Order: sequence, then structure tokens, then C-alpha cells
Amino acid sequence: MSGKRILMAKTGLDGHWRGPTIVARALRDAGFEVIMIGMARPEEVVQACVDEDVDLVGLNIGGHIDVAVRAVTALREERPELPVFCGGVVPPHAKRKLEALGVEVYPPGSQLPDIVGAARRLTGLG
Amino acid sequence: MAGPDAMAELVAEAVGGSRSALARLISVAERGGEGSAALEAALLPCRGESYSIGITGAPGAGKSTLASALTTELQTAGERVALLAVDPSSPLTRGAILGDRVRLQPHLGNPEVFIRSMASRGHLGGLAMATCTARRVLEACGWPLVLIETVGVGQAELDVAGATDTVLVVLNPGWGDEMQANKAGLMEIADIFVINKADRQGLEATRRDLEAAIAANAPTRRPAIVETVATEGTGLNALREAIADHRQQTTASGEHQRRRQARAVTELRDLARARLELALEAQLAGAAGKALADAVTRRETDVDSAARRLLATLFTRSDPEQAP
Amino acid sequence: MNDKNSDGKAWVSTSGIPLKPFYRDEDIPPQHRERLAAAPGEPPFHRGAYPTGYRTKPWRIFQLSGFGKPEDENARIKFLLEQGETGFIMEHDRNTGDHCYNVDHPEVVARREDVGLTGAVMQSVRDIDICMKDLPIETSYAHAGGAVVQHAPFALAGYWTVAKRRGVALDRLPGTGQSDYFLTYLGCVTKQQVPTDTGLRFNADIMEFCDRHLPRWVPVSIAGYNAADTGLNAFQELGALFANAVEYLEEIQRRGTMPLARAARGCGGVSFRMSMDLFEEASKLRAARLMWQQLLAERYDIRDPKVANLRIHCVTAGSRMTYQQPMNNIVRGTIMALAGALGGVQSLGVSGYDEALSIPSEHAHQMSVRIQQILQEETNVSAVTDPLGGSWYVETLTAELVERAWSFFDEIQAQGGFLASLDSGWLHEKAAENQHREFMAQETGEQVIVGVTAHKDDSSPYEVDGFMGVDDAFDVALERLEDVRRTRHEAGAAAALRQLEQVCRGSDNIMPAMMDALDAEVTLGEIGDVWRDVFGDWATPIQT
Repeated sequence: MSGKRILMAKTGLDGHWRGPTIVARALRDAGFEVIMIGMARPEEVVQACVDEDVDLVGLNIGGHIDVAVRAVTALREERPELPVFCGGVVPPHAKRKLEALGVEVYPPGSQLPDIVGAARRLTGLG
Repeated sequence: MAGPDAMAELVAEAVGGSRSALARLISVAERGGEGSAALEAALLPCRGESYSIGITGAPGAGKSTLASALTTELQTAGERVALLAVDPSSPLTRGAILGDRVRLQPHLGNPEVFIRSMASRGHLGGLAMATCTARRVLEACGWPLVLIETVGVGQAELDVAGATDTVLVVLNPGWGDEMQANKAGLMEIADIFVINKADRQGLEATRRDLEAAIAANAPTRRPAIVETVATEGTGLNALREAIADHRQQTTASGEHQRRRQARAVTELRDLARARLELALEAQLAGAAGKALADAVTRRETDVDSAARRLLATLFTRSDPEQAP
Repeated sequence: MNDKNSDGKAWVSTSGIPLKPFYRDEDIPPQHRERLAAAPGEPPFHRGAYPTGYRTKPWRIFQLSGFGKPEDENARIKFLLEQGETGFIMEHDRNTGDHCYNVDHPEVVARREDVGLTGAVMQSVRDIDICMKDLPIETSYAHAGGAVVQHAPFALAGYWTVAKRRGVALDRLPGTGQSDYFLTYLGCVTKQQVPTDTGLRFNADIMEFCDRHLPRWVPVSIAGYNAADTGLNAFQELGALFANAVEYLEEIQRRGTMPLARAARGCGGVSFRMSMDLFEEASKLRAARLMWQQLLAERYDIRDPKVANLRIHCVTAGSRMTYQQPMNNIVRGTIMALAGALGGVQSLGVSGYDEALSIPSEHAHQMSVRIQQILQEETNVSAVTDPLGGSWYVETLTAELVERAWSFFDEIQAQGGFLASLDSGWLHEKAAENQHREFMAQETGEQVIVGVTAHKDDSSPYEVDGFMGVDDAFDVALERLEDVRRTRHEAGAAAALRQLEQVCRGSDNIMPAMMDALDAEVTLGEIGDVWRDVFGDWATPIQT
């Protein structure tokens, strides 16, 4: 039992659910409580993170990097200490941009043990 | 969790309107244990009254959609709404995908709505207790309406929903096996039956069946029946009115007060029992417990006398702070 | 028989069919043996839709294309046609299109940079007109967009309205619609969508309308592709696709407004995904033609060979294109395209090698066309129809897929039918189970993906950075939207919109009212508002 809570959201209006679902199930199986809110705008992600008092945010990025960057920036303003990681269609230039903001990026082809390991590390479970 | 001062400070922040403090307090309630006990103490001076509505029913009955639609309905009527989506199915050793937040999409980002997915992780008093503490936090923070939605109709779920002021039991035309099997329990806790997905076949038969079952109840305990199609927002107005009627009737008749009193007894019993068990386990694991067990094994004392002696060691303290 | 290797790993097809080390004549099941004598173009059609195969009709090179402003997309389509593409696909922006939102909808504004990333923004007939500028619409087979169910009436009515305004009679227009259930309700669940039963009405309306006015147009196209790329395996893709077709046909049957055979012809243009299991995928297409013939003959007594020969479009699996070492994807695209060619496709699209990074760059698009041209012009695969026919392995696999697919079809019927299996999330769960299994197989090393799970290379000199798109799509779309609102004949637009709403509340075919609405320059978002008002929102069974 970890008791650690992870909020997962999609920043775009793209509804592919394959990736996020696989990740959510793997996190659940690793003992995390996962709260999926689906497609959400930056301010909606922020409010849900606050209300749900989560320990980590996972963003699925389905579109332009600037939309994701807005969500991350908004989160940083409200809860600067909250770690964020993300996956989805993130080309190398976008990956670099997010990493510069302190966001860990797991592009397509990332393996589940790596993602789960990151979740454990980012929530202080070692 | 930090000491009582830190807790009081966090409560003060939450009461002052900080959502983030409110959210952290609910986490404390969720974790249970001594933190939760400290929280209850810190909440004691807080005033504030909220009305709670429990929503329970079999998985697939459309509870989340109904909770979402009811939130919209109450919001339109000008109320701020807090919704606790409670998930008792989260086992202790594994994680969970909590709640059904996709249904709650329409309320994302709305400052007049507070949504929280809760899992049971605490030990003291169980999930019903954690939910009650969370409700008191919301009450202290001035949320006038608290919806508490649970995911099934097992005993844990019924306990959670049963600890609210108005209990909605959601079912569908045709009932479903799980509901039938729990009919007696549902009859006991329901204040309003909601037949959701009422546009489906079998509505009339289900209504007749319900009416027959309700007729067997005492005249003072005859739940209303409301039909809804939550996906289309149909029947929500009637549901809001049924809730208001129930609230008005139980308040006028004194039933509301009696229920709160009964709930206090239940909470008291649950918590005392939980503490007693903890203390007992501690005592059994300690030197005195081991000595008694040895004595029983060696047949130096009979088991009942040993049990009495064990209990006596628990109840010799006069300072409640030192009590189990 | 030894169907395990030395470390105990089972040799199975991707869909889980056990494989022998080699096949013999006696492995072919008796019921399939009878079919071996049939020639291509003869029932039961597993050997091919037409007797002369690619000799007389090379497969159509048909690439998904679209981004930016309508004029950007127009330029890309022209580029592809110059490169040798033989049909074109007009992709609409998915943020606006799939949701039937105008660009000034708050959900879109919040994601303004996403606009134009996946297709051109087309909010009114004026935008569609720009996108279709100088395209050979009378001679070139067109996919007019509208992959998502609630968007199809807009995309189709828009395309047809522009054609009419150009003086092209509707009955001369070649092309296809899509309105695919798998994309809409299974693979890519939008934030808001009309319920599945409303979607059925829309699709049946489109079928009726095409039957009356557009004889050369394929009204709807079921895309097994989207089922497969969401996780359904080869035989599930087949079973689900025909369960979908049955739903359309039976709606038409209930209406009794057109001969069922013509409806069957209307939904007999489908698409499948081609993935990496070369022989299973080629066999899947043979199985698909066989099953369609069986379904029509046995369930509906339809035996006209012009109706019973399924026409197949294939797209190579986007999800198989890797982010790591993207140049490897050119090889993958080639193999998947070859599977389609061997299986007897009528048209083919190859995903861009940069699929996992972005929408295709011009170079990736060109490579997708070149792969197909190399297959068609250098390899001689076009010379002989059904080159795999008679292979003991392929015939056995074909028969096995047919059998498993029909039992999956039956499972869907037992769920209450295709729509019910979507409404309840049953089909989603099937897909999710497979996804999970696949990931586990990758973790254990049972399934290898070169460059991803093995043969990794952190310092590839061939990094691809993904196509950047354009950055003015949102602003231009907003200007054009305001321009339409300012300059259209407002009373006419309002009247057409009212008329559409009235039709929606009744039971008449919506398409004539849609044609009037598009002609009156009613916008996408206004139509979406009517949908949301009248039909409400689908209760999605999954958490995203």
C-alpha cells in the first residue's frame, strides 16, 4: 500500500485512450491510487490537482507542446513542489522544452517498468 | 502529521477558504489513525452546518452520471456542491483507479464545485468514519451540500451512504441481481429510490415491485420513487424536489435530529471499538499478554480468567489521554 | 508437433493462433478445402475481389493528409497527387471537426496551438472551397473527411455543396465518406459525441441520401483499422467489423427505404489495419472477403457478386511506427504495405515514418507514396492475383481466422449487438486486455520491437524532429469565422439552421437539410450546437 495519489489528465482534445489506460493500470498495479480526469484545460488540471491533493501529475500530450507547457506553468504557480511527468506524442524538440521545465518525459516506446519506477521515485517511494 | 498546533493552523487556513488546505485535511481523514483523531479534535470548535446526500447503487446503475447531473441541478438552483466519490473497493495492498471522474467532466474547473475521490486507507473506524470526518471538514469550511457517492451495494458502501441525511438508492428498470440480493438492506437505508435509465424497458414492472416492497415498511418510512434519465438530465428537477421534501419532513418531524443522534452513537461505537481492538492487540503483543498466553498454554489458568485479567489491565487508567 | 521453441515460448500468430513449424495439405480444414477451386473474382471471393487483380486495377495510393489552413492542406494534396497519389483524403482539424466546435469555442481556444495540427480547419463551406481549390474532383477518388460520426454530415454536405456550386453533378462524384464507429466510439473517444443510436441514424441517412443522389459515392466506410489500432486482434477486428455492418444493414432493413442489396453495396467498402505479422495480415484480408460473402448470402440472401465482393482499403499500423530510430519505420511500412498487396487491397495508405512524432512531414509523405510505387512498379507483385492462394499455411490460417472471427461476432451479438458492446464498454475492455498482454509480452522479451525493446541505440544520428505544422491556423480560422458571420445572409442561415433542428427532432433524413444549411453558410459549431441540444451526449464507458 503506497497511499500515493496520481492525477492523470489529457491536455489535448485528442481522445486516444490506449496509452494513458495502459499506464494507469500499471500504476494501479504498482499500488498507486490513480485519478483520471480525461481531457482538461490547464486551469482545470490545476484545480483537480489541488482538490484531489495528489502527489504526482501525469499529463498525456496529444498535440502542440505549447498547450502542455501552459498546463505545466499553471501547475508550477499553484503547487511548485508537485512533480509532473508526461507521455504522448512528444517529438525531441518538445521533449527538450518540457525537460527544461523539470518535467520527465516518457515518449512512445517507453517501457512500463521505467514509468512505474519514475512514479515511485517522484513520489518519494524510492 | 504534525502536532495539534499545526493541525489547528491547517484547519484555520481551510476554514479561511484555502481549497488546498481543505484538500490536505481530507487526505488526513483518508489516512485515518491518530492524524484523523487530531483533526477531529481541531474541528470541534468549528461551526457550520451542511446537509449530506448519500448515493448508492449497483455498479453500472449510472450513479456517477446521476451524481454529476444532480450536481448540475443543485448548482443551477444556486448551491455550492461538494462531492465525495468514495471507493471502498480499493484493497489495502493494491492501488486503484479511483472514481469515475469522466462523468464529472462538466464540473472540471468550477470553483463552486469541490470534487474529491476517496479511497479507504485508514484503520480507525474504517471508511465510514473517514467519510464522516471528511464531511465534517467540508462542513467546517462552509460547503452547504455534500454528496457522497459510493461504488456498490456491499455492507461497507451501505454504511457510508447510510451515514448521510438523505440516502438515494439508484437502480435501473429490471433491478439486477446484486440489487435483488440486497433488497432488504436497501429498503432499510433508502430515503429515495431513483430509477435511473428510466427510458429503458421494464420501468413499470420495477416501479410496481418497488411500491410493493415499500408498502411493507412502516408508514413513516416509505421512500419516494423518482425516475430519471441522468444522461439526458431528465427527472433531476423532480429529484431535487424529492430531496428537499425529505429534508423538510425529517426536519419538521424531528427525524433528522434523531438520525444525527443515532449516527453519533454509531460513530462513537465504531471508534471506541476500533481503539479497543488496537489497545487489545498492543496488550496481547506485550509482556503481560505473552505471560497470560503462556499461563493458558501451560494450563496454569483458564482462558476466561486470563481474558478478564487482560481486560483489567486495559481499564485501570483514569486519565482519558492514557486510555486505549 | 513442436509449437514451442527451446525456452518454452509458444509460436503463435499475433492474434494468438498456434502455429506449426510447417503446414501440409491435410492441415487445411475440410470446409475450406471446397473453396480452393474458386478463382479470384468468384464467390466466396477470398482469392480477390476481381479476376484480373492489379493488372487492370492497381491499388489506389491513398494517403491521409491534412494540416494547417485549408490552403496548406490544398497544397499538400496537390503535392501528393504530383508524387503519384491516385486519390486524396481531405483531413479536417480534429479539435474542431470531431467535436463540431467552431474555433472560438472555449475548449478550442484553450488549445489554440493544437488547431490545424491534424487537419485543416474547415468551419464553413467557404473553408472547404479553399481546400478543394483546383482539385480534380470529377476524376479523382476523394475521401471528403468526416471520419467521426457526428462530423460526417458536415464534411460530406460541405464537399458536395462545393461540387454543386462548381457545376459538378452529384451523381458524377466519385469518393467515400467514413463516419466510422470504431474511431468515434472505440479508438478515439471525443470529449463530446452524439450517442450511438443517433450515429446510426446519421449513417443510415447518409446511405439513403447517397443511394438517391450519389451513386458513385461510398456513403460510409467501416474502419477496422481503428479497432485494430486500439487493440483488437486480427479475428476480433474482422468479427467486430461485420457486427458493425450488420447494425447498419438492419437499420436500413427496419426503415425499408432502399433495397437491402444497395445498402450492402454502400457499406461494402471497408478498411483494415495492416500490421507486422505478414501472413496473418494477408490472410485476414482473404478472410474478410470470404466472410462478407458468407454474411450477405446466409443472413440476407444477397448473392449479387457486385455486392458480395468486399472492397478493401488498408492503412499500415500507426501504432507500429516507433518513436525510437524512426528510419526503421520505412522498412516496417514496406512490409505492412506488402501484406496488404499480397492480401489483395483496392487501396492503400502507408503511415509516415515520423508517425510517432508528429503528423507526416512532406518527406515522410513522399516516402509513403514511394514505398507503394516501388512495390507496384519494381517488385512484380502486381502480376499475379492472390499469390499466396494455395499455400497450405495461408489457407489454413485464413480458415482459422474466419472461424474465430465468427465466434467473436457471435460474442458481440450475445452482448446485445455492436452498439450495445460499445455502450457498455465491453469492446473497450477486449481491446484493453490485448493492450495489456502486448505490453507484458514486450516486458518479458517475448515480443521484440527493434530499436525499442532490443537493439537500442541512444545516439542515433538519424533523429527526426517531427513536422512543425503552421502557426497561424487558429488566427486565420478565427478571422474567417468572423467574416462568415459578418457577410453571410443571416436570415437565410438562421432559417436553414431552424429547419435542420426541426428535422433532427423528427425522423426525416437530415442530409437535405444539411445540404441547405451548408449552402446557407451555417457553420460547424452551430450545427454541433443543434446536435448537442437535440441528441445530447454519449455516455462514454471508459475513463481516459
